[in-house]
Amino acid sequence: MSNKNKYKDIFIKSLTIDDKKFTENIKYNEIPEWDSIGHMTLISELEEGFSITIETDDIVDFSSFKKGIDILKKYNINF
Amino acid sequence: MEVSKTEQINKIKNFALEMRKKILEMAVSAGSSSAHFGGALSITEIVSTLFVHQMKIDKTNPNWEERDRFILSKGHACLAYYAALSEIGYISSKELQTFGKNDTNLLGHPVINKDLGIDFSNGSLGMGLSLGIGVAISSKKKKKNFNVYVIIGDGECNEGSIWEGAMAAPNFKLNNLYVVIDKNNFQQTGSNKEIMNVENLKDKWSSFGWHTVELNGHNIQELCNFFDSSKKIDKPKAVIANTVKGKGFSFSENNNEWHHSVLSKSFYEKAIKELTKR
Amino acid sequence: MDINDRNIKIWSTIGSRATLGIAALELAKKIDNLMVLTCDASTSAGLDRFRKTFPEKYLDLGIAEQNMIGVAAGLASENFNVITTTFAPFQTMRCCEQIKVNIGYMRQKICMVGIASGLSLGTLGFTHCCIEDVGILRSIPGITIISPADSLETAKALEAAIKYENSSYLRLTGASNNPIVYNKDYEFKIGKSITLKHGKDITIFCAGSMVYQSLEAAKILESKNISCKVINMHTIKPIDKIAIEESCTSKLIVSVEEHNIIGGLGSAIAEYKSSFKVSPKQLFLGIKDTYSKGGDYKFLQNKHGLTAKKIAEDILLGIK
Repeated sequence: MSNKNKYKDIFIKSLTIDDKKFTENIKYNEIPEWDSIGHMTLISELEEGFSITIETDDIVDFSSFKKGIDILKKYNINF
Repeated sequence: MEVSKTEQINKIKNFALEMRKKILEMAVSAGSSSAHFGGALSITEIVSTLFVHQMKIDKTNPNWEERDRFILSKGHACLAYYAALSEIGYISSKELQTFGKNDTNLLGHPVINKDLGIDFSNGSLGMGLSLGIGVAISSKKKKKNFNVYVIIGDGECNEGSIWEGAMAAPNFKLNNLYVVIDKNNFQQTGSNKEIMNVENLKDKWSSFGWHTVELNGHNIQELCNFFDSSKKIDKPKAVIANTVKGKGFSFSENNNEWHHSVLSKSFYEKAIKELTKR
Repeated sequence: MDINDRNIKIWSTIGSRATLGIAALELAKKIDNLMVLTCDASTSAGLDRFRKTFPEKYLDLGIAEQNMIGVAAGLASENFNVITTTFAPFQTMRCCEQIKVNIGYMRQKICMVGIASGLSLGTLGFTHCCIEDVGILRSIPGITIISPADSLETAKALEAAIKYENSSYLRLTGASNNPIVYNKDYEFKIGKSITLKHGKDITIFCAGSMVYQSLEAAKILESKNISCKVINMHTIKPIDKIAIEESCTSKLIVSVEEHNIIGGLGSAIAEYKSSFKVSPKQLFLGIKDTYSKGGDYKFLQNKHGLTAKKIAEDILLGIK
């Protein structure tokens, strides 16, 4: 599976979003599933899925699907 | 048969008279344990109006689910509470005589006892309003129709927790909550003015969002009028009841020595004479 | 609640507070008369999602803890199943007398949850730390006190407390990335301690965040040929007396808590142990009756000797 698909998959699974409702424009706190609890779940699953540990500043900055792509580049996860 | 206004007022007056007799009996039987005499007498008309005229009560069942709830936040005035519960039949005369004795169910502050109609334990000042808020919220959540009546003292308004409650009740739109503030102008060791002034109670409660009225707490007509007229008001209600501590007896009225004192046999006799003269 | 590897890992990452929020949400789906009350601490207690999903089962009393307890008692008197929660010092001390009167004396059943107890908020100073809560509440009759070891135990303890007939206080310690003690489901019973490791030389009684640290300390001690039994005393009141009796075959008893050594788990154990004719010496590990300067959680745990390394060192000294 490509990194991009893995990334998307983790989003859908950890935030329990409906496949059909998912778009790459989703942002933190703009959908009910991506609240603070959802956010921590997402981070946890990204760390597990990509075998990385995300720094606190990056956890805070991780405000959207697209932003996340940039952040993961820092951890050598390329799409 | 509909009861006329005069009949109703007389009914309440008689209830209050009987309450005062029972208060005297309990106080004298407490002997050297002494009793919180003054603060019970200041609320006698308030309590009798609530129990006779205002509150939904089933005299055969103290645990009737639909009953209005009564909370004596100024729990030390329990002589009035026990007297009222006795008058409506929840507390027997035998039980009443145990007031102040060892192992009694009737201590110097109410202790929860559902069989006797005592719904809550009170006495540590400042706590009854919060309890009342919780019960009033429950009534709405369960879509029941009961009201909650809380009696607090003016000295008790020193407690910060009262103002937490005062702030919260309008936030929760508790139009089924009534607070009666017994403004007898005294607290334990002196007048409010000497100890900790609680001026402008009407403005204070009103500014917190309560429908607030000030009246003579011994005028049964005024009390009835207030309760009747405030039914439809969509806010929690606060009554600043101007009262006389120790009301009913010449020796105790406005005399703070009777906050918590021993009622000797001679004072008892004097008091009974004054009651029966009326 | 679905107790599986994935959730255990997530709850560990998000910490016990956020796990509380998730657990409460699951309980609210099944329990009609559940009410959750808080004092302007919804997001701190992971209750934001609860608040949005079950607004009718949620009440925010604002920064007014004394009022919260009274309101909770009023609701409990009308047969609601009530949880109250805010930061531990305010949950237990600001409204202490209300707890005594409404919960201890009047016996209105309430489950109180103190979040961020211990040292986890050390960067905010000791006003926001709590090293007194167990000591204070132990002296109020009628309150069961539970200190869950990790996020999974937090969820299980909450469910048990809600179903329990007595009032209780759940003391949540740890931060996010809360170490996992239980990596699979297990039986949790209020009042029954859990022996996580057997050993014959020393018995370590621990609770809350100190369970993980004690297990790690035991590993260090094993490497030095000292065999430790590690017991999770999640219920501090009523204390598991049998566990204390059985520990008397050890050469040394150790109590470890992220709490003042006065009044907490160690004191509870010592109170019972002192009634025996003969028993081993007890080493009290915890905060030594002081408010130190603040700092982050790791810094404070280290400063107060509450890391695996320091616990092992203290035990080595104590066993001499």
